[in-house]
Amino acid sequence: MLYVVLLFLAISLLLYVILAGADFGAGIVELLSSKKNQEQTKKTIYRVMGPVWEANHIWIIIMIVILWVAFPKFYNVLVVYLHIPLTLTLLGITLRGVAFVFRHYDAFKDKSQIVYDWMFRVSSLLTPIFIGMTFGATVSGELIITENYTDYSFEELFIAPWLNIFSIVVGFFFAGLCAFLSSILLIGEAEANNTNIYLRKSKIATIVIILLGFIVLTYGFFNDIKFVTAFVNNPYAIGLILLSALLIYPLLHSIKKAKQILSRALAGLQVLFILTAALITHYPYLIITKQAELSLLDGIAPESTITVLGISLIVGGLLIIPGLFHLLKSFKMIKILER
Amino acid sequence: MENLDAARLQMAFTLIFHIVFACIGMVMPFFMIVSHKKWLNTRNPIYLTLTKSWQKGVAIFFVTGAVSGTALSFELGLLWPEFMKHAGPIIGMPFSLEGAAFFVEAVALGFYLYGWNKLPEKFHWFTGIIVGIAGVSSGILVVSANGWMNAPSGFDYINGEFLNIDPIKALLNPAWFTQALHMTLAAFTATGFAVAGIHAFQVYKNKHPELHKKAFKIAITFGAIAAILQPISGDLSAKDIAKRQPVKLAAMEAHYNTEKGAPLYIGGIVNNDTQEVNYKIEIPNALSFLAFGDFDAEVQGLNDFPEDERPNVAMVHYAFQIMVGLGTLLLLAGIFFFISLKKKKWSLKKRYWLLFTLLAPLGFIALEAGWIVTEVGRQPWIIHKIMKTKDAVTPMPGMVYSFYLYVAVYSILTVAVIWLMTRQIKALNNSKI
Repeated sequence: MLYVVLLFLAISLLLYVILAGADFGAGIVELLSSKKNQEQTKKTIYRVMGPVWEANHIWIIIMIVILWVAFPKFYNVLVVYLHIPLTLTLLGITLRGVAFVFRHYDAFKDKSQIVYDWMFRVSSLLTPIFIGMTFGATVSGELIITENYTDYSFEELFIAPWLNIFSIVVGFFFAGLCAFLSSILLIGEAEANNTNIYLRKSKIATIVIILLGFIVLTYGFFNDIKFVTAFVNNPYAIGLILLSALLIYPLLHSIKKAKQILSRALAGLQVLFILTAALITHYPYLIITKQAELSLLDGIAPESTITVLGISLIVGGLLIIPGLFHLLKSFKMIKILER
Repeated sequence: MENLDAARLQMAFTLIFHIVFACIGMVMPFFMIVSHKKWLNTRNPIYLTLTKSWQKGVAIFFVTGAVSGTALSFELGLLWPEFMKHAGPIIGMPFSLEGAAFFVEAVALGFYLYGWNKLPEKFHWFTGIIVGIAGVSSGILVVSANGWMNAPSGFDYINGEFLNIDPIKALLNPAWFTQALHMTLAAFTATGFAVAGIHAFQVYKNKHPELHKKAFKIAITFGAIAAILQPISGDLSAKDIAKRQPVKLAAMEAHYNTEKGAPLYIGGIVNNDTQEVNYKIEIPNALSFLAFGDFDAEVQGLNDFPEDERPNVAMVHYAFQIMVGLGTLLLLAGIFFFISLKKKKWSLKKRYWLLFTLLAPLGFIALEAGWIVTEVGRQPWIIHKIMKTKDAVTPMPGMVYSFYLYVAVYSILTVAVIWLMTRQIKALNNSKI
């Protein structure tokens, strides 16, 4: 059953990164669009994301629940030492979700839209940066896990792990990934004469990701960040990254041929490779602190809990996934019919 | 302010906020599908306008409830890491099922909101039903997790360790049923009266009275039935608490000394130093009867418990008085509504509509008071008799700033949602039917 639980954890992490990532990215694309295109993007986002965006974000709740139920010790480290970036992430998720709904459901479309729009765009950019910083912090090697909180300063324990160059660059890298996913998605959804806007955006995003990825690795390498050294020395991780890079060619080709499903699948696959590369580098030691490495499987919940959780996840999955699939399909069908 | 106090205030503040939105998001879909059904049956366009207007309300409240719920799922760990470390594996089941129910709700809501004129009519209506059922299920599951904190079960506590964990037994802890029943009825009462009150006010102002009267009737029917049923569930809860958490019952009643044939205090000012309740109304033997079904039963007083294991008596007592008092008032209002269906003349008077307008916030005040009773009444424990709240709090200092941040953000959100609702009503009144 442990493997079922791990599988669900990995799937929800992946789906959260891809689906919510595309969702955050939509706001980033809108933020970085020229004024003329912003309105257009806003409309497209609403059409594409409207029915599904809420469901996209539930994966993070599933992730959190799996973590705290099955991996309580691991979760404990996250919530105690990364309290601040997690709170900031939360704040971003809240403001962004609320702004999205407000701007579409407010009964009057007047000047207040400007406030909602900016709230949506800015929090769409900041939230993935904070999420990325949290990811970065777990492997930055800056975390100090201790029982004696008074031995260290507030800054050392609760700020330094996430507010450092490595974590910040990882944060921007993740935001770039979101923008990339979203622009690929939007290419297929925009009206014919607008596709070029998103094509250009996706190219910029690709360059930004490669650049930031390069910075993360070189910075980490020269500063002896354990995770990065392990990463560059792991043939599988490097192989996956190269594979992900190679996929750019078929991706560009499929975009040119307007094969939307294929290009989305390719973009998703690229992200899957990058994520897997990062995960396998140090699995199961997903937290690397100053003194030690903490395994996901340390202090795991007792077997009875894992069994029940595994069964609930399977039952829940059987209930949800067909519904979600149907939801995506129905609105796709409708869109095709409307054309 | 100490870290513990700041963390408790932040938790209280976010819960108070979340409960309102969660209840409305959970109950309003039922109003919406009744109105929708009436539209399908009668083809009266008023019902269509009403359904669409309510669905916007549902969407706004659902999202606000969902994001504040996401915030809470983080906060449980961020504020109470020691609690989650041990409780997580035990009460994970209601939370994972709640996640599933919530997911179903979000998917169904996606279908419902965006399915107009696109999905087959009956299927579209049915997705609305799923929204409602999934919403109530997730409410019940979350309350079950709270029930576990009051009635910890499904594990053996040996030398400070939680062993032999049985998550199913923890889910079906002794408190889950009474608490879930009480909360579900409370949610229907509070939302029913609140929504009815808002529409009553529009009738009072004579704006679109035909539409608002129909809206009023749907909402108040749910609210009134729930309010009339609530005392039964309240009685079950009281008897349950008398057995499981006698110290909480004693605090609710500000009952200091153990006695047989204990009287029931209504109202009064609690003086914790002299252990007296002044200016109260006293009903002899009533507490013994309500708690144990026997006029002469012995009811334990607060003095039977060590001083550091008692909750804040005055706060629990006052909150309990407010809950019961307002609950009774709404029960009477519910009966009054059903009589008014026979006596049609009553509803022609403006006073009738003003009355229901004034009742609008009372259900929610009662509901929040009830949560104060159960949460403050459980203190100083976070897990009854197992772990104290002060041992669960985060070691990170400076929680007071986090508290201020949350107060600021949630206050702004509250104001924004209220403002949006007034705009919805304004738009509804401007619409031509």
